[in-house]
Amino acid sequence: MSRQTSTQRGVDLWTFVTLGGFALVAAFLVYPLADIFRYSFTDKVTGALSFSNWVEFLSKPYYIKAFLHSMFVAIATTFFAVLLGVPLAFFTTRFRIRGSSALNTVAVLALLSPPFIGAYSWITMLGRNGFLRTALASIGIQLPPIYGALGIILADSLQYYPFVSLMTAGALTTIDRSLEEASENLGASSVRTFFRVTLPLVLPSVTGGALISFMMSLSNFGTPMIIGGNYLVLPTLAYNLFTSEIAERPGMASTVSLILMLCAAIVIGLQQSASSRRKYASMLVNRPMQKKLKGPVSVLAHAICYAIVALSALPLAVVVFFSFKNTKGPVFVPGFGLESYRQIFFDVPKTVTNSLLYSFAAVVLIAIIGTLLGFVIARRRTLAVRVLDPLLMIPYIIPGTVLGIGYIVAFNRKPFLLAGTATIIIMTYFIRRLPYSVRSAASILKQIDPALEEAGINLGSPPGRTFRTVTMPLMKAGIVSGAIMSWVTSMNELSASILLYVGRTMTMPIKVYLSVLDGFFGTASAMSTILLLVTGIALYAVNRWTGKSGESIVVSS
Amino acid sequence: MTSIRIVDLEKRFGETIALSDINLGIEKGEFFTLLGPSGCGKTTLLRTIAGFYRQEKGEVWLGDERVDEVPAHKRDTGMVFQNYAVFPHMTVFENVAYGLRVRKLPKADIDRRVAASLASVHLEGYEKRTPDQLSGGQQQRVGLARAMAIEPRVLLFDEPLSNLDAKLRVEMRDEIRAVQKQLGITAVYVTHDQEEALVVSDRIAVISSGKIQQIGAPWDIYKDPANLFVASFVGKVNLLDAELGASAGPGLRRARSGALDFAIPDPAGYSGTAVKLAFRPEDAVENPADGDQNIIEGVVSASCFLGAVASLDIDCGGTRLVIERHRPRAGDVPTNGAPTRFAIPPRCLMAFDSATGARLKSASASTDGGWR
Repeated sequence: MSRQTSTQRGVDLWTFVTLGGFALVAAFLVYPLADIFRYSFTDKVTGALSFSNWVEFLSKPYYIKAFLHSMFVAIATTFFAVLLGVPLAFFTTRFRIRGSSALNTVAVLALLSPPFIGAYSWITMLGRNGFLRTALASIGIQLPPIYGALGIILADSLQYYPFVSLMTAGALTTIDRSLEEASENLGASSVRTFFRVTLPLVLPSVTGGALISFMMSLSNFGTPMIIGGNYLVLPTLAYNLFTSEIAERPGMASTVSLILMLCAAIVIGLQQSASSRRKYASMLVNRPMQKKLKGPVSVLAHAICYAIVALSALPLAVVVFFSFKNTKGPVFVPGFGLESYRQIFFDVPKTVTNSLLYSFAAVVLIAIIGTLLGFVIARRRTLAVRVLDPLLMIPYIIPGTVLGIGYIVAFNRKPFLLAGTATIIIMTYFIRRLPYSVRSAASILKQIDPALEEAGINLGSPPGRTFRTVTMPLMKAGIVSGAIMSWVTSMNELSASILLYVGRTMTMPIKVYLSVLDGFFGTASAMSTILLLVTGIALYAVNRWTGKSGESIVVSS
Repeated sequence: MTSIRIVDLEKRFGETIALSDINLGIEKGEFFTLLGPSGCGKTTLLRTIAGFYRQEKGEVWLGDERVDEVPAHKRDTGMVFQNYAVFPHMTVFENVAYGLRVRKLPKADIDRRVAASLASVHLEGYEKRTPDQLSGGQQQRVGLARAMAIEPRVLLFDEPLSNLDAKLRVEMRDEIRAVQKQLGITAVYVTHDQEEALVVSDRIAVISSGKIQQIGAPWDIYKDPANLFVASFVGKVNLLDAELGASAGPGLRRARSGALDFAIPDPAGYSGTAVKLAFRPEDAVENPADGDQNIIEGVVSASCFLGAVASLDIDCGGTRLVIERHRPRAGDVPTNGAPTRFAIPPRCLMAFDSATGARLKSASASTDGGWR
């Protein structure tokens, strides 16, 4: 039986919100993407409608190779993410592991850290002059420098495995214990029970986490740019093409962008069907219990969990460590101090304030507009809303690089001359994060019983007042924690803003990237440490605010 | 004076007709129950009265005001929800005060009315608690106090007890009934639980497939059902297909069902011969005297002990009938195959039109309301 309220008739605030949603999609997504589409099917020289760009892409090994590189890196990353994530999830949920919540926090921190910190940290360890590589060489172990596919896969899988572990852990803690008990009661051994009952039950979540890892790795720009060397993948290829094509029509960059979006769309499609087709989470009765391990088994389980998390925390620790080392120009010198931080605050304080201001402005917009649109999507299933809902999810499949290209093309001509402004960067932050905010507001609302709003109305409170006194207070915690997560991801955004910044709109991630390119690891480390600190504080705030740990928010968003 | 009046009401959801031809009047101070299986439309009717749904046809009157165009928040009804709907971000006091604050009452009045409401549901001293510190039963008391506090024109109950455990359900239903009578307020109560309906109601409307099947006092609903649906939904019945025969004495008629032959009150005016016969298991009279009518012999095919009664399945020459034995003592729950003999007094046999399910009453007993 449908549970719609009688207030569903006529034009009201929510009609305008729906219209606003369509306007937003048209201006911020359709308009710039249409440009990419147009350029892709336009001949670079003649400007006529043609498939020449696609022919060129498919006929030149240079392009095909980038595509294959992307696939290889993404598949390998996914494989290792599952390899690390599933055991960690299983051990921490089913066995009593000391400090498992601390392990989770560190994993989430690694997941949310700026996407290139891992890459350049591994360079400082295993790059051409990496200290770990040099140290190993001095005792006779020769390693090749980490640049290329290996480096990307290493950095990516250590960053994205928490997607798999958190989603799997979520499934493992919510499946009905009775199902496993039934299996054992029917005579199956615990090993058989795991493979025939437990694993099939959590498989949709494992698949979901794996596909997100694939997606993130596929669209990651910072990591392959820093550690990839000559190993081009689609996002770095699109970036290179665009920056060299900028004078003419960006036909090839647009074509690569479209291919990237197509891959992303396929992956998202798979992920949606994996997560919607079969969901086995049960009601909160009969939660599985944690088993207490003894002796060597316990030591082994602890060792595995700690090793996985330590490995992913290692790059972060190295960055923090190097930020306190003394430098002389680009060179590290013996001794510790705050020289790198001094440089940031005296030389480029603007990047810090830019990052804080831009992401704050974006988050205010995201929270307000996302909540309004989320309400419409959760509570007003009119035909228009049902059309709007999937449109708002488009940013999911637009890699940052593609969005950056689209924006610089579309918003750098009349009537929008936005290139080089803070506005265009805030716009990208806003649109990239909006779908998460809409989704999370809608899912918060779905957990609020409509009967509560009906109770308010029944007691004589008009719909507007009921929204303010009943619905809003119940959504507040979710909105604030969602906003904090948006703030963190916006602060760490690189792939779109790298295409859109000019000197005075430079942000911290861009500065880190440029410092790494120039070899100024000291400043890069200090800047990254600040970003990490902000991320950590935000996580703590979310934790305090909602009583939930960061991971549940990562998983739900 | 009529407190609620529904005239020719029809409610659709898209193509589906949820309610049709609804006509009823509820008296002031009456405890009126909408009873029916899930999906029958009873909750839809309640929500239409509350104003959460707008009917496609017909009128809803509260007192002497027609409220069809009045939005839900101005209807002044107090609803108690199935899942409590107690505001989780407010204390007990704030919950109960919510409707009073909307009405901008002076603080002293609010304090007094909240206190009175909480007292009537035995929740004094719980003002500062938050809902997560309360049990389900206590939360529902808050829901009730909150609805009463605004002194609404009517109280609306949407299956308020279905989420509570059996013992608490009995306790709460008596309490709801007591509070309602004490305040003298009109109540409309939705439930699918026939026992609950029989206990609390002044009158019951049995609803099925979006239509009212019968409106009546609990006694009439149970003892004098208007059709086959009501007879089988409220209480248990044995159902038999039968063929009407010749007269069986003054006001009586023969009815044959397989090997069994009954004398039943004559459904005068019924033109057909095919009927459905029904009688309730507790109406079987054991150890009948030889002269009694409708004596049936059979063997026990299954029996179970239910505490206050023992229920016996009897195989009567191929027809399976269920009878009940009251206050069973040792030996009263027989083993299978034990021979049994019982009688069904003719006045306990109800006949229904086998095509429409409508009750076929005898000319003499029709106003009598069956066996009293």
